[in-house]
Amino acid sequence: MNTPDNANRRDFLKLGALAGLGLGLNAIPSAEAKPDPRDLKLLGAHDISVTRPRPSGNKPVWNLTTKPTEKVRVAVIGLNRGRSHVNSAANIPFAEVVAVCDIVEGRAKSAAANVKKVTGKEPAIYFGDENAWEKMLERDDIDVVFVATPWEWHVPMALKAMEKGKHAFIEVSPAVTVDQCWQLVDMSEKTQRHCSIIENCCYGDEELFVLNLARQGFFGDLKHAECAYIHNLGGGVLWSLGSEGDWRRDYHRFMDGNLYPTHGLGPVAQYMNIGRGDAFKFVVSVSSPEFNLTQYRDKHQPNKGQHKDEKFVCGDMNTSIIKTQLGRTIMIQHDVVSPRPYTRINALCGTQATFFGYPGRLAVDADNKHPILDPKEKRNSHEWTYEKEKLAKFMKANQHPLITKIGELGKKVGGHGGMDFVMAYRMLDCVRQGITPDMTVYDAADWSSILEISARSVKEGSMPIQCPDFTRGDWKTIPPLGIVS
Amino acid sequence: MGTMRPRPAGNKPVWDLTTKPTEKVRVAVIGLNRGSAHVNSVAALPFAEVVAVCDIIDERAKAQAESVFKKTGKRPAIYSGDENAWEKMVARDDIDVVHIATPWEWHTPMAIKCMSLGKHAFTEVNCGLTIDECWQLVDASEKYQRHCPILENACYGEEELFVLNLSRQGFFGDLKHGECGYIHDQRSSGSGPKGYTFMDKQREWRRNYATLLQGNVYPTHGLGTIAQYMGIGRGDAFKFAVSVSSPEFGLSQLRERVKPDRDRSQDQKFVCGDVNTSIIKTELGRTIVIQHDNTSPRPYTRGNMLSGSLATFAGYPNRLAIDADNSHPLLDPKEKRNSHHWTYEGEALKKFMEANQHPLARKVGEFAKKVGGHGGMDSLMNYRFLDCIRQGITPDLTVYDAASWSALLDISDRSVREDSVPVAFPDFTRGGWKALKPLPLVS
Repeated sequence: MNTPDNANRRDFLKLGALAGLGLGLNAIPSAEAKPDPRDLKLLGAHDISVTRPRPSGNKPVWNLTTKPTEKVRVAVIGLNRGRSHVNSAANIPFAEVVAVCDIVEGRAKSAAANVKKVTGKEPAIYFGDENAWEKMLERDDIDVVFVATPWEWHVPMALKAMEKGKHAFIEVSPAVTVDQCWQLVDMSEKTQRHCSIIENCCYGDEELFVLNLARQGFFGDLKHAECAYIHNLGGGVLWSLGSEGDWRRDYHRFMDGNLYPTHGLGPVAQYMNIGRGDAFKFVVSVSSPEFNLTQYRDKHQPNKGQHKDEKFVCGDMNTSIIKTQLGRTIMIQHDVVSPRPYTRINALCGTQATFFGYPGRLAVDADNKHPILDPKEKRNSHEWTYEKEKLAKFMKANQHPLITKIGELGKKVGGHGGMDFVMAYRMLDCVRQGITPDMTVYDAADWSSILEISARSVKEGSMPIQCPDFTRGDWKTIPPLGIVS
Repeated sequence: MGTMRPRPAGNKPVWDLTTKPTEKVRVAVIGLNRGSAHVNSVAALPFAEVVAVCDIIDERAKAQAESVFKKTGKRPAIYSGDENAWEKMVARDDIDVVHIATPWEWHTPMAIKCMSLGKHAFTEVNCGLTIDECWQLVDASEKYQRHCPILENACYGEEELFVLNLSRQGFFGDLKHGECGYIHDQRSSGSGPKGYTFMDKQREWRRNYATLLQGNVYPTHGLGTIAQYMGIGRGDAFKFAVSVSSPEFGLSQLRERVKPDRDRSQDQKFVCGDVNTSIIKTELGRTIVIQHDNTSPRPYTRGNMLSGSLATFAGYPNRLAIDADNSHPLLDPKEKRNSHHWTYEGEALKKFMEANQHPLARKVGEFAKKVGGHGGMDSLMNYRFLDCIRQGITPDLTVYDAASWSALLDISDRSVREDSVPVAFPDFTRGGWKALKPLPLVS
């Protein structure tokens, strides 16, 4: 990626984008032109907020139903992150991993071997070059493709998968730019295939517990939420060649904003019914200076000093505030380099209760008369009503039905503490039944769009940037996600 | 709003103002609800004397005078009964410092009058409610060459002084980000027959602001400490803020619930969103998240979080994470560290805090705890401020701090009204912040 040839190509394409000659809306780059983050079409100040008209013939997919099937046939591209999805799917009785793909042969073979070990059936293997995935997508025995590749590959792969009649389950962030978000929405609506964001954090124990309470009105009127991806990757993963160190650091070299919004935002958006009764209205975003990547590089000279000329422009801490159409606020942060412990914050604030994660704490208003509460219990929101053991007990008594059903199995199969499995189970169960998965292409687009929208706000001195409406007005009438099981 | 007003001819900066040292600092206090803690703090200081107290309510004034008499054997003069009583008091010529602890709308007029009569005006938070009032305070302080510090007691909390101590020693590396807030469920206060709610008469003046302002109506408790960590006004400065408010539910629903009768809240329309979140960008590019929420069901917090390239501190509860590369001399070089976990919390942090107390806390922390007032913060602050006056040196918090911290009130309101556009801060130091050195580790 750092060869002189590539650098020249980038400059050429950047100039092209500046002249308004960037990739057209429906152009799908062929695999021969390996996507480069610098080639992504960042939108102008005006275009980024525009809700584009629906191309004729396209139809909404928020309630798309498909033909039920007994066995959902799954393929997975990208077996670093994707091996967890392979393992989840292999452990689901109504799913079958039919093919796996990775550019690295060893990774493909080891994922296939794992499937054989679990199921007795070995999936087809695709590997070796950057076109291998396209050959896999030619198969006609695949229902769902998991896309778990570097970010710049997500959209071209998902578009191609849908064109070939497959549902595309895309890792986070599904899209880097708002233009890409529209490409996903339009392709999903055109091909009538699901294009789900596979946001595993929406299936964490705690997140599902909060969602369960929120759906039952426990929090009263929702007013505010906080979330984040705060995870110190700056002394490890971001420099790790052969995996994310090959590409992820590149985004820190040309975008200054929230580069990874969805882990925190997905659950909070679900609590607030974003896209289903409420919607993101605008975003303001502010970044701190950049220190830690540069300082780590200079001090430790990772990979024999080969990164010495990299210049990082992404501020260490990005804080954005989203205002919703109903007036609620969401604070969302991104910091993957500072010396601090992991947190997604996971806070929800309503008139009747407040939840905070990391560690989990729940304050219940003295006036909260929700039927799940013991009416004899004296409460006082000046202290956390439930935390530690008391919260664990309360959580257990008020688990989300999905956790009651498969939480134990999820923990056994594993994958980020079981979240990966619960998600794969639920999403594939929807495809099995022929119903719409919990997370749609509109969620994929809404949540991902914060990436470029925040960067745009930072670039413009923290001006509020309006969010486009990927549902094209339907959010007003789409019913909230029920308490699914 | 962000315009820097020219300095009126004849005015001089006051950030290094020195005054004549004195053996006994003579103090008067206006507003004896909040002010009772200041009376109590001052009465306990050997080098200070409460010479007069003032409140619109006779009993409050008498009770405070009595309390001073009990502690010191000397009874301060009492001013009370009407809204002009304070003017008579500040006309006295035996007062060095006036503490102003009245409803917010009184702060600026009282402070300016005090300074014009030669007194230092120690003004409770918030100091100025508008940018214009902030400029009035700066100009009066510079004109009369009197101190006008903000009485921000939270700057003198133990944890806050500990973090300040570490940050002054470079422990955090390059500072990048801070978070703070005033999250305090004030819908009701106390319990039993003495309890009252935001709908009662006692809270009317403060409730009224929720009908007028839409931003962060009480920024300084959180912001003061972060501003000190970052050297705001002394090497860095607030550049702009963006501000977003949630919907309003808290006060309207409280009114529904308590159904106040014979009360003036009935027709009030509350326009201030329950949760206000603002982000401040500084001239050096750092960011500060600051929140206000006094009507939601949640426990108290001021956030008190500081993020640097070599360490991270978070309050409520206190936690400190230290980078593996941090080789600060305060640290045990043999200790293995890993910022994926909090390096110090609970007992381990207590021990580390004890070993690295701020010199002020070391000197008067025990004494302050005994005197009390918000856990000793009030006493410690008064000790330090009045000790500065005794020595004739500049108090730690100046009129520029009072102005720049309070300014967020008006700036956040403006940002919210204009759909969260960034609003620039004026430079109350008129360029002085670039050359001023951060506050040293005082004692």
